[in-house]
Formats: sequence, C-alpha cells, structure tokens
Amino acid sequence: MVNKPEPRLRDYGLQSERLLWPTKGPSQFEEELGADELEQALGITTLEKAVRWAQTKSMWPDTFGLACCAIEMMSIVSARHDLARFGMEAFRSSPRQADLLIVSGRVSHKMAAPLRQIYDQMLEPKWVIAMGACASSGGMFNNYAILQGVDRIVPVDIYVPFCPPRPEALMEGIIRLHEAHLAGVPPAYERREVAT
Amino acid sequence: MSSTGWERIPGFVSVKEAHGETTVTVEPAAIRDACAFARDALGFNFLVDVVAADYLGWGAKGVSGYIGSPAGRDLNTPMTQGLQSLPETKPKRFSVSYHLLALRKGAPRARLQCWIDDGESVPSVVSVWPTADWHEREQFDLMGIRFDGHPNLSRLLLEDDWEGHPLRKDYPIGGEPVRFSDAE
Amino acid sequence: MTVAPEKQTAAAWPVVAPPQYEGSRIPARVPTILDVPAGLRETDDIMQINFGPNHPSTHGVLRLIVDLDGETVVGLSAVIGYLHTGFEKSMESKTWWKAITYPERIDYVGYQNAELVFVLAVEKLLAIEVPEKATWMRMLLCELNRIHSHLVYLGTSALELGAVSMFWYTFRERDLIMDLSEMVAGTRMHTRYFQVGGLAEDIPPGFYPQARKFVEWMPKALDDYLGMLDRNMIWLERTKGVGVLSAEDAIALGQSGPNLRASGVDWDIRRDDTYLAYDQVDFRVPVYPEGDVYARYRVRMDEMAESVRIIRQCLDRLEQMEGQPWIADDRKVVLPPREELHTSMESLIHHFKIVTEGYRVPEGEVYTAIESPRGESGCYVVSDGGPKPWRVHFRAPSFVALEATATCMHDSLVADLIAIVGSLDAVMGDTDR
Repeated sequence: MVNKPEPRLRDYGLQSERLLWPTKGPSQFEEELGADELEQALGITTLEKAVRWAQTKSMWPDTFGLACCAIEMMSIVSARHDLARFGMEAFRSSPRQADLLIVSGRVSHKMAAPLRQIYDQMLEPKWVIAMGACASSGGMFNNYAILQGVDRIVPVDIYVPFCPPRPEALMEGIIRLHEAHLAGVPPAYERREVAT
Repeated sequence: MSSTGWERIPGFVSVKEAHGETTVTVEPAAIRDACAFARDALGFNFLVDVVAADYLGWGAKGVSGYIGSPAGRDLNTPMTQGLQSLPETKPKRFSVSYHLLALRKGAPRARLQCWIDDGESVPSVVSVWPTADWHEREQFDLMGIRFDGHPNLSRLLLEDDWEGHPLRKDYPIGGEPVRFSDAE
Repeated sequence: MTVAPEKQTAAAWPVVAPPQYEGSRIPARVPTILDVPAGLRETDDIMQINFGPNHPSTHGVLRLIVDLDGETVVGLSAVIGYLHTGFEKSMESKTWWKAITYPERIDYVGYQNAELVFVLAVEKLLAIEVPEKATWMRMLLCELNRIHSHLVYLGTSALELGAVSMFWYTFRERDLIMDLSEMVAGTRMHTRYFQVGGLAEDIPPGFYPQARKFVEWMPKALDDYLGMLDRNMIWLERTKGVGVLSAEDAIALGQSGPNLRASGVDWDIRRDDTYLAYDQVDFRVPVYPEGDVYARYRVRMDEMAESVRIIRQCLDRLEQMEGQPWIADDRKVVLPPREELHTSMESLIHHFKIVTEGYRVPEGEVYTAIESPRGESGCYVVSDGGPKPWRVHFRAPSFVALEATATCMHDSLVADLIAIVGSLDAVMGDTDR
C-alpha cells in the first residue's frame, strides 16, 4: 500500500469550515486550493478533477438501513429534503452498483459480518458514512451485542453525530464528503490501513 | 381476573394480587397442563408473552424502603436511607412467567409463574399456543432456560455459536470501558 | 428444511407438536417454519434462496431462507437477531430516568408508544397520579405517532410493490408530523418527552394552531392515498387474496393490532383494555374479515382516519386545560422546576438525589400493555425497590408478527413474499430488541 507518510488533511490546504447553505458558486475548499479562474473561464480542467466532479454528482448510496437512522435516511429522499438534487436518490440495492455506504443504525455483532461482506462487494472508489451515534461509536449501547463503532470493521470517511441525525445533518455530511472528494481527499480505504 | 377460581389449576401453589394483576404460581412440571387448563377451562385463548427473570443477587445489596408517593409514604419511618429493608425473598433463581389474556369483554389478564433453578427445565407450551415457539426460544437464548419438548430449541437472537446467556445476572454487560462512567 | 436444533444432552424428550385447529394453516412440525413437502424434497427442483439481512425492501435486517419450486414458495424460515441490541440488559444498568431513552429505540417507528408503555409500567408500580393534561397530551402524541407509523408502513410497502410515488406522498405528511414533534419536544424522533409522572415540559404556545392545520390537511391526504391505490388494478391484484391468515390462526399465533383486526377479530386494547383517556374519546375500530394483505392495508388506512378524529378531540380538550400542570408534583420522583432550585434547599436536594442516584421504585412486578401501531406492545418490569430496574422485558408485536410469516406464506409466489412481509409491518428493532 502507501509507503509515504500519511498526508494530513491540512496538507491539502483545507482550512476553513464549510459555510452553511446557501452558498453559491464554488465552495471555500475549491477557492482555497486556488481554483483556477483560467480554468473556469475557459471551461478546461484536468481529467482527474473532471472525473472527481462526475463521481461527486452521482454518488449512489447502498440501501443499508439498519435501525432508526434508516427512517431519517429514507426521509432525505423525500420531497422536503430532496436528495435528488445531488443526484443521489437512486439507492442501489446491489452493492456492486453502489458507491456510498451509509451505515445508518446500530451494528450488532451478528450483522457485522454481512456489513463487511457488503463493503467488500462494493467497487472502488467507495465511501462510507457512519450515520448516527451508534454507527460512529456504539452510541448509547455500550454492551455485549453492539459493535462499538463501525470503523472497527470498515474505514469511515464521514461521521454524522446525533441520535438520529436530522435529515439536514446527514445531507451536510454528504455535502462535506462531496467537497472533500472534489478537493482531492482520497477515500478512507486509501488513507488508513484499517481493515483494507 | 379475580383471584378466585385459580385453585383448580393443575400444579397450583399460590395466587397473589398486586397492582391490579393476578399472579398464579404453579409447579414447573405441571405448567403445560396448567396452560391447557387456562386456555380451555378459563378461556385464556391468547398467550401474550413468556418472560424469564433471573433473581441471582436479589436483595444482596439491600434497598431502603420507598418513601415517595402518597401510596408509599410512612410518616413514622422517615428518611429510611440505608439498609433498612430487604425485598421479599424469592423461592428459586429463575421465574418463568406466562402472560395470558382472554379476548373477551373485560380483558381479563393473568400471569402464570413457575420457579426453577439453574439447570432445571420447563415443559414447552408450544402444544397449547403455537406462538410460544419464538418466545421460548428467545428465553432459552438469552436466559438459558431449557424448554422440554420444544420442536426447535435453538438460538434466535444471537449467533448460533455464541457462548453464554447474556441476560443472566452473572454475565457481564460487555462493551468497552468508558472513562468517568461507573456502571455504564 | 430444518434448522439444526441445539444438541440435547439428556435423553431426547418427546417433541410436542402445535395444536391443529380446523382449517389451520400453521405448519405442523414447527409453527414458524414452513417445511418443504416430503415429496418435493427429493427432487432437484428446489432452489434455496437467502433473502439476506441486507435486501432491497426496506424492512431492516430480516433474513428469510426461502425454498423455491419455480416461483412458488415451498419452504420458509425466518432468521432474526441481526439488530439485537441488548436493550433489556442495558436498561438494568441505568437508573429509571435514564432508562426511558431506551424503549424509544426499540420500536423506532412507533417510538412514542414504546416510551409510553415503559412509563405507564413504572407509574403503575409507583402508583403515581398523572395530571389530566399530561394524559391527554400523551394520547395526542401517541395517535400522531400511530399516523406516523402507518405512513411509513404505507410508503415503504407501496414502494416495494412498485407504487413508488406513494413513498413521496406519505413522507410529505410524515414531515408535517415531525415538525409537530420538533415543536413540542425539540427533536423529530426519539423525543424522551414522556416522563414518569407526566410530560417533560409544557406544551409550547404555537402547537395547537399547527396541530389543527395538520388535522385539517390529513383527511385530504388520506383521500389522495386511497385514490392512488384503491382502484389501481395492479395494487388490488397483488394484495387481494395474498397471505391469508385466518382468525383462529391469528389468535393462536398471538397476533394483535392491525394484523388481528384484519383477520376478523374485533380486538383493540384502546377500547377493550383501556389506558390513558381512551374511554373518553369517540373512535371506531376497523375490522376486516378477509385476513389478506389488502385487509391489513385497509385496516391501517382506516386507523389513520380514526386517529385524526382522536387528535381533534384531544385538541379540543387540551385547549381548555391551559395553565394546568403537565407533570405530577411528587418531588421524590419528578424533577422540581428549575427556578425553584435557586430558592429552595429541598428542591436542590431532591434534584441532586434524583439526578445522581435516581428515584426509587417500590418492589414489585407489573405488566402493562398498550395498543401500539403494530399491535399489543407490553412492558414487564420487575423492581427490587432500588434506583435501577431489575428486569425489563418488552413484549414486541413485531416479534410475534414475524412468527406468522410461515403460516401466511402457503401457496405464495416470490412476489407475494414481499407483499406479505410488508403487510405484517414488522420493525426489526422491535423484533430483535
């Protein structure tokens, strides 16, 4: 795998927090990285940036709703918090066709094996969002049955806290993921050596 | 349902009324006949739940008497903090309760309860109410109580190769240690 | 098909078979497992499919091992436990006050009802008087939650059968309910609003007008749904006559709630074993005799309309109760109001004791049952007189509903499998606890 020392997020030049909606135009990240006026003016870009842009605009999630967070995940597809504006309303049931695994809900030890299997069946590039407190850290269930954080078995890109997160909070997490990817941050399986 | 009329149940030991509920204690070996009697003669055609409770360590720490609401306040023994009362002792380690309901006017409910120790088993009541299938499997899985004659007594909620029965009092809560938290 | 039973060390005791009622379709060997008929088992035609814990239909982590002969389901076994969270064990190590946050996450679609059943059980042990305003508000929120649960059921079931646009319509109304919940309790789901003794906080000022707007809007939305589905030939073909559960089978299998009422048994705990103030409101209980998926769908649709009626009556009553207390004033159990903490020493001590040690519940055991959107939801609580529960057990209606999958699945096709599992409305958190 990677031999050079793991790059920190700040090496990408990301310093500022994303401003909340509505922000028009390119995000702070892209501006800080020196989004090229020339590129924008002439409409040219590197192939990588174009590919990343395309991946961001149609990152299809996998139907991995486990518990209460699944209801809130279903409601981001609903009409009020419309996920289709980000091109993501197509929740693929087959992990082979999915890019994003939103682990929404508590993961029991019995479910950990199917979770890892689903993650392995996804094709690169793939991202994982740990939605809710239970997926991030085991939440309020510090007991024999629940995996204390899904990052013990899959590498996680974004953690969305709260129990369950508001649909807007989950969308914030998704948008941050998009921007991080646009900025060039590699997906989690390339950044950490956990469970690769 | 009132506490009268329960003496005829097979294996009858005692009957108690508390909080508006009737608890009938029955011998464990006779529980299947008792349930059949309750269903046929007394009309309890609906099995609501099968629950087991583990009383290991019951009353070991001692609890002070409750001095809260008007129902429990006793002016003559104020401020009963400390080990001044112990809860009523239980006959054996496990209680297996069958919650019954009769689907008729008045919704009579009853609880048939039997007491067993670790290692003893209880006859299965799947032949009386088929719904007991999964309830008994769950109690076997989590509490380790064996039900004789159950057609498919295997683990239900935990993995098939799990060791131990988590809901017992001598099974640790598990999880990971968290700083500054005592029992959680 | 068999699931290997636990190795029995003692001499094998005779296995008992479940009772067979006249015309019963409960499988003979194990009531919850549909076995492949002996003649078919020897042929090569049977294909075993794993309808795994992660599957396109939105019911959470249920695993069905299905034997198929072509398109017909000839064998079925349900494997649950993928969401087993150890609620009952966790609650034994939390004080009574903190333990209220746990039941909500068990039945996470009908969360207010799950909170309610635990709070009612503890109040029964405490023999505490709950003020009228709290009772009526609890009833209002539980009915709102019933509508929420049925909307989620309708949206997801219709989505799975192909009526994709129903999802968006039902979740639009669901967002209105979430707005009301957020206004009252601060968060959309899992509100922890019901406390032992009443409610956590008073009802905010703008709630009644907004609730009235919802109540005016909801019947029109229900008409929309009926208009979309009830005359749709595809929906009718896929749901009528599918997954029939007879009344005797339903009672023998312990079904309750809409599943029982759709099989023709007229039983509703709100009316027959009443709790809160349901005996003071006027509502009908829908009962349909057919026992198929369509009947269950109709029962839930009608229940939504009845819930709207109940909410309207609750609003009328609540608006007259402005200024009344919303929680019991027993300071040994209920936290004192915060402004008193600055002036009264006793309040400070009570607050301290309740928050750190927790209030104590007298010794005893109770079982309380309510009519949750899924059926009879019950809570069995054993207290040893201390600040923490000794044993808490939740009677989960979804757990029992999934026991009926094998019975409903006779002579079904694979496509009907989805419809049947959806119509039983099982929430996996409730099933696995």
